[in-house]
Amino acid sequence: MTTTEIPRFVRADGPDKVTGSGRYTADLTLTGMLAAKFKYSGISHGRITRLDVTAAREMAGVLAVLTDADVPDVHYDPQIKDRTLFARDIVRFEGEIVAAVAALTPEIAEAAVAAIIVEYEELTPILDPEAAMDKSSPLVHEDWESYEAGSWLVRSGNTASFSSLERGDVDAGLAEADQIISSRYVADGSHAAPIEPRAVVAQWEGNKVTIWTSTQVPFDARAGVCETLQLPTNRVRVIVPHLGGGFGGKCGFHFEAHVAALARTAGRPVRLVFSREEEFTIPDRRREGIVVELTTGVRKDGSITARKANVVIDCGAYIADTAFFPQLAAMHAVGPYLVPNLMVESQIVYTNHQPSGSVRAPTAPQVCWALESHIDEVAKAINMDPVKFRLKNAVDTGMVGPLGQTYEEIGLRRCIQQATEAAGYGQELPENEAIGVAIGWWPSFASASGSYVKLDDDGAGQIITGAQECGTGAVMTLRQLAADELGMKPEDFEIIYQDTATGPYDMGATGSQTLLNNGRAVVEASQQIAEQLRELAADRLEAAPADIVLADGKAQVAGSPESAVPLSKLAAIAGSGKLLLGHGSGSPPVAPPIVGANCVGDQGMASWVGPQFSCHAVRLRLDPETGVTRVISVHADHDSGTIINPMGAHGQVEGAIIMGIGQALTEGTRYDETGKQMNTSLLEYKLQTAADSPSIHTQFVEVFTENAGPHGAKGLAEAPNIATAAAVANGLAKLIGSPMRQLPMTAERVWDTISEGGS
Amino acid sequence: MTTHLLVATTLDEALAAMANGARPIAGGTDLVVGARVGKAPLPTELVAIDRLDELDIVGMVPGGSDDPTPLLFVGAMVSHATIMNHPLLAASYSGLADASALVGSPSTRNVGTIGGNVMNASPAMDTGAPLLAMGAMAVLQSVSGSRTVPLAELWTGPGTTSAGPDELCVAILIPRRMGEEGSAYVRLEYRRAMEIAVVGAGAAVTLNDDGTVAKAAVALTAVGPTILALTGLEELLIGTPLDDLSLSAVAMLASEQASPISDLRASDKYRRHTVGVMAKRALEAAGRRAAGETIAIPVNRAEGIGAARNAAAQNGAAK
Ligand SMILES: Cc1cc2nc3c(=O)[nH]c(=O)nc-3n(C[C@H](O)[C@H](O)[C@H](O)COP(=O)(O)OP(=O)(O)OC[C@H]3O[C@@H](n4cnc5c(N)ncnc54)[C@H](O)[C@@H]3O)c2cc1C
Repeated sequence: MTTTEIPRFVRADGPDKVTGSGRYTADLTLTGMLAAKFKYSGISHGRITRLDVTAAREMAGVLAVLTDADVPDVHYDPQIKDRTLFARDIVRFEGEIVAAVAALTPEIAEAAVAAIIVEYEELTPILDPEAAMDKSSPLVHEDWESYEAGSWLVRSGNTASFSSLERGDVDAGLAEADQIISSRYVADGSHAAPIEPRAVVAQWEGNKVTIWTSTQVPFDARAGVCETLQLPTNRVRVIVPHLGGGFGGKCGFHFEAHVAALARTAGRPVRLVFSREEEFTIPDRRREGIVVELTTGVRKDGSITARKANVVIDCGAYIADTAFFPQLAAMHAVGPYLVPNLMVESQIVYTNHQPSGSVRAPTAPQVCWALESHIDEVAKAINMDPVKFRLKNAVDTGMVGPLGQTYEEIGLRRCIQQATEAAGYGQELPENEAIGVAIGWWPSFASASGSYVKLDDDGAGQIITGAQECGTGAVMTLRQLAADELGMKPEDFEIIYQDTATGPYDMGATGSQTLLNNGRAVVEASQQIAEQLRELAADRLEAAPADIVLADGKAQVAGSPESAVPLSKLAAIAGSGKLLLGHGSGSPPVAPPIVGANCVGDQGMASWVGPQFSCHAVRLRLDPETGVTRVISVHADHDSGTIINPMGAHGQVEGAIIMGIGQALTEGTRYDETGKQMNTSLLEYKLQTAADSPSIHTQFVEVFTENAGPHGAKGLAEAPNIATAAAVANGLAKLIGSPMRQLPMTAERVWDTISEGGS
Repeated sequence: MTTHLLVATTLDEALAAMANGARPIAGGTDLVVGARVGKAPLPTELVAIDRLDELDIVGMVPGGSDDPTPLLFVGAMVSHATIMNHPLLAASYSGLADASALVGSPSTRNVGTIGGNVMNASPAMDTGAPLLAMGAMAVLQSVSGSRTVPLAELWTGPGTTSAGPDELCVAILIPRRMGEEGSAYVRLEYRRAMEIAVVGAGAAVTLNDDGTVAKAAVALTAVGPTILALTGLEELLIGTPLDDLSLSAVAMLASEQASPISDLRASDKYRRHTVGVMAKRALEAAGRRAAGETIAIPVNRAEGIGAARNAAAQNGAAK
């Protein structure tokens, strides 16, 4: 589809961003503001034997130096409280914060950081998650048993969280197979790499603090500050100016408390701005490295008899928000296929790497890459076309999925058919070209979420929401939902958002959930106003409220449009009486029960609200002499339910595909032998550029689902990031003759694989 | 940190400042960016040469007394954007245009200069290999006079040159390319913008009337401390056609003579192999140009290099 066919919906924040008039956190300047810098461990594993900040404290121009001794004794992190704001005794990765400085200028702060004396007894870094699972392995957290943790978590030593999915009898299933195919895949870690490095500004007035921060989750950030600095929520206000991208990398609570603590001690506002290198190495939001081992039993007719899988995820030094990753990864090791017998074991394991955390569809692109590569191997083993194999085994409407969830209307098979047809799958291609196909799935995340809507006395609307924007445009789409309910135009609404002191709770720009949950809240709030408007109009038009229709900025009697009153007039009446105020949150949709499956370490990820499906068909060209791969075109078909804002939806898919190509070919974290990252610049960590972008053809398979968001919308921000790398892999495997076993599939790795005559 | 910045309005002013210890800054895309990433601090004294219009000229100049062949004069301040779009350069010095067209992004090419590229002396610089293959020279000038140095003698190691601290490069001179000569530059790149050569190769070829090679030179990018000129080409190529056999022999020669390192971008083994591939592709493209074929600038895009060759034309629809 060309863009001209897509209905236009111009983002309210677009002009600010493209003209440069918009302000980001790093742009803020407050009177008397100081600069913050952190002292990092710089080593992956060690015991602090000496920490002396005296010289730094005494330097002219230094107003605060803080260490673990200067903040409340609190362990935090959402599901396992394994972390403190400042290193205590042990440092567990190179970016561990040992001390923080606030000084008059960044240069003085840097000099003060250099003047801090820290000595370590170096400990052997634990870097291989598989080896770390061994009982004899040294521990990243000696005291893991003493940490407060969710009672549902299955933990042991370095294994921070374990999950299994079990159904039927996997051994019996394998025994029924004509062929058994086993493979092992290793995905390197990678990064969200938002264009804006993180920044935080904090200012105290009396005993209240306002924090401006580049977070995707202001309410989580507030909760982290309240927990670690022991403050009630009503004394902490978190405001997010424009956010320069996040991709999940800015989820979670990060450095807001450090900066707030510095500002309190210094008695001045303090600003922290990360360098690109810090953005790469310090936050607990690396996309996790994963090892996936898969075994599938298949009959000659192409039916799957069993799947056995083991997934090992590199947690890094702290759990951050990753405790649910094992079960999510396990779901991707099963995939949207009919698998009668399965046994998947999945764990996230502590190491001395930078901590992992949610990055756009956590665990999914890597595990999908492994599974879908494996599926192509399975199809090849029985001489079946891989697309035909998927059509035979994919879940569909009315079927019971591999974990016992029964699906309402879903569009996966249509996605497969349409994407492969549009891509010309099966047609003759020039030499060194191939089309790889992969499918993916992803849940929609239901959560509590709130919004207010009001119309002022001139009829202008405001949406006051807790929702957060991270570039998806989802918040902007809220205007469309309110406009639809009230018979107004999206432009009639301003949005007040990204401020914990004005909007009700929302989970943030995370889990593709804004439209799904906050959309529901806005619809509910708007409906309350619509109700009020109908009553006001009914009085004036001498009709029953039920017969009043709101359309074109007017309230009119159904069937007689000449009998109408402008909404502005009704708003003026309301303005001197009962004000037009709505508030909504509604009850989140509930995931259907799972039947006949057994989950150990259940994280609620085995059954999904509004499940999303996708198929990507990637046409690529390989230079066999160098291993360099170029993606020529991508055909992407998505079932993400009803599409409310087509322009925003296409943008999500296109951005995610380009990100997926980067993960497939050029990105990937590189470590030295001590566990420190080596490619911490945008020159050596190679994102795709505009010049690399293929032509992208997106189609939405819109099937209505009751169990989803407003008007049947599901999530969309993460789903399109899942199947691209897998489809690239399958195209490459066709040209090379064997699958690529490592992600990213860099030119050199491809060339190595070709030179070795396949793996 | 820089404490003095002189914006020179005349060449003499610039040379005088350099005689007093100032470092020149042209586009600043190496100097400033390098300082920001901590490669080397900004010099305390800088002289900006970007307003010197006499350094922003492209044209032919007469040859010297020992060799009267006219020379192409490319002023040091000529930007990569100017080079890639210059009709004379694109037509007759295509290898240089190929290289400039690959530099960074449109903004890097608008600001970055040939003088800065050559004097920065990175072994990964893109204009180096085609310039060396074409036998180019640098004109160095100081308050005490001017001299012309072949590039092979200019570069002494990564980031170092034989130019004195007071010498400004005012121009690059390239011996005039005769009608039968063609040149090309190709590089291995993992992405199509904001990239640094993993390896690369530049070639210049003159053909005899029968299509066999009369003269050929190949230089390699990012496989040694400086841009590396291939030796022993004559024995392989003179009098032979550029066919699969001779091209593979050149690829092997390039792989043999390369002394690459392993770093984040590639292993030495991979570089050694791929520089051979680049060498044969550059030579082939130069030969085709010498034979009169038009291959669009840069060869990398025209040939779809960075993925399989000759396919770009068939897939013109794909961006
Ligand atoms: C994003 C980005 C991408 C890049 N991509 C590429 C690429 O693809 N290929 C590539 O080759 N390079 C690339 N570069 C490097 C750089 O842009 C080029 O080398 C450019 O040609 C340098 O020119 P400049 O005018 O900016 O040099 P400057 O930074 O001004 O100078 C570089 C050095 O040369 C000295 N110098 C400059 N002019 C003279 C002179 N006339 N006489 C004597 N000394 C002088 C300076 O003192 C300094 O030491 C890239 C740089 C960036 C920032």
